[in-house]
Amino acid sequence: MKKILLPGLILFWAMTGLAIAQTPENLTTAYRQFNALFTGEWQQYGELFTNLQKNLFPRLFLLVITTIPVFLFLHYIAIGPMSFPHDGKRVYCYNLFVRIIHWMAALSFSLLVLTGFVVIFAKLLGPGYLGITARTVHLVSAVIFSIAAIPLFLFWIKEMLPALYDLQWLMIMGGYLNKEKKPVPAGKFNAGQKMWFWLATVGGGAMAVTGYFLYSHPGNIDILRLSAIIHNFLGAAMVALFLVHIYMALAATKGSLQSMIHGYKAEAELKILHPKFKY
Amino acid sequence: MGRMKFLCDIERCIDCSGCVVACKEGNHIPVRVNRRRVITIGQGQPGEKSISVACMHCSDAPCIAVCPVDCIYQRDDGIILHDKEACIGCGYCFMACPFGAPQFPSGQVFGARGSMDKCTFCAGGPEETFSVKERKLYGQNRIAEGKVPLCAAMWATKSLLAGDADEVSDVYRERVFKRGSGANAWGWNKAYKNR
Repeated sequence: MKKILLPGLILFWAMTGLAIAQTPENLTTAYRQFNALFTGEWQQYGELFTNLQKNLFPRLFLLVITTIPVFLFLHYIAIGPMSFPHDGKRVYCYNLFVRIIHWMAALSFSLLVLTGFVVIFAKLLGPGYLGITARTVHLVSAVIFSIAAIPLFLFWIKEMLPALYDLQWLMIMGGYLNKEKKPVPAGKFNAGQKMWFWLATVGGGAMAVTGYFLYSHPGNIDILRLSAIIHNFLGAAMVALFLVHIYMALAATKGSLQSMIHGYKAEAELKILHPKFKY
Repeated sequence: MGRMKFLCDIERCIDCSGCVVACKEGNHIPVRVNRRRVITIGQGQPGEKSISVACMHCSDAPCIAVCPVDCIYQRDDGIILHDKEACIGCGYCFMACPFGAPQFPSGQVFGARGSMDKCTFCAGGPEETFSVKERKLYGQNRIAEGKVPLCAAMWATKSLLAGDADEVSDVYRERVFKRGSGANAWGWNKAYKNR
């Protein structure tokens, strides 16, 4: 008898409890329904975004633009740049079209980075109208970058496909850790260039999509919060590799900037840095 | 110093939207911006309830935490205000806010958002009190005049209470004591159905 009584009693309580909870006269139920409409699932992404933006993102970007230049500078004074004789045979690597779209992407990307930092450190760099202008420039540069990045992606995708020797290149850090001129395993593009290429094009596409959401404010706020999180993390990664790319082109290998201006690379340089490149 | 709060008595709110209109007209809010809105549950059914919501003027507010310009600040009495001239319209406060309080007027170049606009508890902004600029940017400064916010003043059923938290809770407690709450509250059932 007791065995039936106890579950029966519990069931009875539960049923009456349910009945009370379902009557709209109950204020707790009403407030619970209001909260669902009012705040939604803020704890899911809203809290995450708030905590990340409060504690992580500005510090992450500060870390990226302070530590990476320091490491690159240390590399420059400790190991120093590579230089190759440029008076020997020269190989035509980049045609005019690629060079033009590369510089189009480069210019717009630099603007994206600069205006992005204006928004991230808006308190210091551009409160008020300056910040709003920076956001507009960010939008225009993003459109120009997208126009340039698509042909660049299609033009280089075949040579940028990962190969097994890219792992070896990464293991020895591309031979940049010593001054020996020993051939490193790399085709037309080395693993570092490939990483930068994929991040800038595929990652750039993700930046474009999330950036479009952030700019246009779609209906779903959770999409907006996720977009902001993705945009910030990807942005930090892109800025990091962007700094390395600039250092490599301007300082780490003497005269390598010339190849993107005239289109020619020195054969002596290719033999060491891109030995698997068949020209 | 008191702590300013809104309280909406959902057993009195009848979804007349008087608060929304009062706020919008009295403060000259731009088109497509609503500082205050009314949420209704069970619309058209017995037991329909409505609540009027705006900025909650939170303690430890998420919008203040995420603003990259630090243009949002909290007064000693709990009212959260912001500097529209420093705001860059990035929208982070909108993403951080659980209540959707920050709003952005559109219609700038390339459809860009302008400066954020939100409920000021009718306490103006960082500009000089009662100045033309303050009125133009933030609306009326009724707190400085010693009045409650427009929405709370215009309410037909006196459902929205605004002011010092202790006073508001006193008014509400007396109300609930007199009329009952929840199933015991005065309303249709008690007046007509159970006769």
